[in-house]
Amino acid sequence: MELVQMQKSLQDYTKSLFLDGVLDSQFLQLQQLQDESNPDFVSQVVTLFFQDSDRILNDLSLSLDQQVVDFKKVDPHVHQLKGSSSSIGAQRVKNACVVFRSFCEQQNVEGCHRCLQQVKKEYYLVKNRLETLFKLEQQIVASGGMIPAMELGF
Amino acid sequence: MTVEQQDCVALDQFPVGMRVLAVDDDQTCLRILESLLHRCQYHVTTTNQAQKALELLRENKNKFDLVISDVDMPDMDGFKLLELVGLEMDLPVIMLSAHSDPKYVMKGVTHGACDYLLKPVRIEELKNIWQHVVRKNRGSNNGDKKDGSGNEGVANSDQNNGRANRKRKDQYNEDEDEERDDNDDPSSQKKPRVVWTVELHKKFVAAVNQLGFEKAMPKKILDLMNVEKLTRENVASHLQKFRLYLKRISGNQQAIMANSDLHFLQMSNGLDGFHHRPIPVGTGQFHGGAAAAGMRPFPPNGILGRLNTPSGMSGVRNLSSSPSSGMFLQNPTDLGKFHHVSSLPLNHIDGGNILQGLPMPLEFDQLQTNNNKSIIAGNSMAFPTFPAQQHSSLPNNNHLVLEGHPQAPPSAFPGHQINKRLEHWSNAVSSSSSTLPPPGQNSNSLISHQFDASSSSYSIPFCDSTIPLNPALDHTNPRAFYRATDMDSSANVQPGVYYDSLQMRKSGNYGPTTDAMLSSNNPKEGFTVGQQKLQSGFMGGEAGSLDDIVNSTMKQEQSQGDLSEGDLGYGGFSSLRTCI
Repeated sequence: MELVQMQKSLQDYTKSLFLDGVLDSQFLQLQQLQDESNPDFVSQVVTLFFQDSDRILNDLSLSLDQQVVDFKKVDPHVHQLKGSSSSIGAQRVKNACVVFRSFCEQQNVEGCHRCLQQVKKEYYLVKNRLETLFKLEQQIVASGGMIPAMELGF
Repeated sequence: MTVEQQDCVALDQFPVGMRVLAVDDDQTCLRILESLLHRCQYHVTTTNQAQKALELLRENKNKFDLVISDVDMPDMDGFKLLELVGLEMDLPVIMLSAHSDPKYVMKGVTHGACDYLLKPVRIEELKNIWQHVVRKNRGSNNGDKKDGSGNEGVANSDQNNGRANRKRKDQYNEDEDEERDDNDDPSSQKKPRVVWTVELHKKFVAAVNQLGFEKAMPKKILDLMNVEKLTRENVASHLQKFRLYLKRISGNQQAIMANSDLHFLQMSNGLDGFHHRPIPVGTGQFHGGAAAAGMRPFPPNGILGRLNTPSGMSGVRNLSSSPSSGMFLQNPTDLGKFHHVSSLPLNHIDGGNILQGLPMPLEFDQLQTNNNKSIIAGNSMAFPTFPAQQHSSLPNNNHLVLEGHPQAPPSAFPGHQINKRLEHWSNAVSSSSSTLPPPGQNSNSLISHQFDASSSSYSIPFCDSTIPLNPALDHTNPRAFYRATDMDSSANVQPGVYYDSLQMRKSGNYGPTTDAMLSSNNPKEGFTVGQQKLQSGFMGGEAGSLDDIVNSTMKQEQSQGDLSEGDLGYGGFSSLRTCI
């Protein structure tokens, strides 16, 4: 694939993520923070996010599977996930967390289970998309090209 | 780079190079925050542990200009960190959280945060955070460091303010941190800010304890502290702040107080050894001084936690030695303000000493509510017996001599609980004391009387021997709970020790605080106890609730001026605080 094509693909792909609401403007902020002195910033942060989230989701699954669910433990996890997902711009994950928290407050186990599923779904989705995005970027860089700056016009 | 260099650079280019310490347990957020801050051209240090952050800050107060901290952290509550930082280092702290709930924001405010940011943080918001450093510097400085604010702030937040001339040498001279405070420069517009460092505060607390809470007068404290260049005014205002702090804490502590009262009482009573109070003080040092009295610096959070929950309270209780500490801190919201009250170190923890001056209310409440846990009984202080009798309205005489005459109930007494307790107490006292109102009396009324500011003199001879309270009580250090609540201005005051306290109170014998409290008819004064005028740091007896105490203290503060003379204000206050 030609470089230009790759770059175009990347842009379109990224745009679609925004349009779908998978990512929000916070992600753009992250991208803007990336510069020569910080060349891999976005991928580093996103990697951290994946690590943290995997762990949190795991803990959440365990907590919710208990006989007696301890919402005092569940809530902070969800809260943290909400915080980190919002920080990187994973909008749908964040929104799912918000709903999750309200069920926690109500101590609704069934509702929480459903929410957890939803959060996981959104999380894997954004993870997948971002990984694809990074791959595209890598291909471009490997081909000697520059990653095109995101247009904020959309 | 040396501090000086760093400061110089910071000074010159402020806000560029402003040194920020970022704390967040979430590594994703921390990394992003770090990057954002770098983008703003600040100098950033990050840590994902609150404890580590505290260490870094304590290691060198002048190393940072500003702290940004997340609220929800596993090892320490962000608000607690906030308080500690504010108290010990007086640096501006910005809270960060994904919680947009106003109550959290409010909590941040009450705990002294300069700002509260919501996650995800935007760079625009971070670009202006330097204003907090400037603001702080201006506040303490008489404004002459505006452009140098970065510098000043750098050096010691606003501590060094007011020392324009000394800023260069002092600023960078960390060794002088403590001494700086002492460099009161009378010529400054406002008194140069004394930096109540942990060490200084410890000395302060130790001095107060040594003098006895009620007897602690700024002048005496000053003498005992033996810190060069520290003035009486510094000490007095420190006491005042402490009181305020306690008051704040007590505001929310009503419930806690109930439980903690016992504690407090215990503490006060026999707490002489409370120095080692097991206060769950985390790093707690409230200005480090808290421990001085034996009050180990309790981590505000720890204490708070305790107070707020029943278990917490019991925690307080358990701390036989550190009853009050827990109590005071309880007030989470108040804690925020804590940092101002450097003197907080709840001397009351000292156990007996502090308590002496401390408004009993705290303990008292506990007693009342708890049914006096035996704690009281255990204490030599008057309290010990108290508890048992408490709930039942102190039937036995051996109870504290609550002479609280049913004087007008202290309106200022927020701690109704305390009142109740007092009632019991009073009842007990009354029963014991001849003229005291019959135990059956609604303790409330009793207490209320006691609290009555005007009644000021009612001394609750809690721990005093005068009352045939438990024998244990008797030998308790008379000062210890002696609440000088002249219930009826001498009326029933039992003769003997107890009464003496009262008298003393009047004459301001007791520690400054007590006197202040006592004399200040201000019910609020002297910590709730105020009404009662804790004679001997008898905190427990006084106001049932911390609130009262705080109120009293507050009032006392009002009569801070009085402190000079009576010095009770603080004395008592601090005990209050500690009690809490």
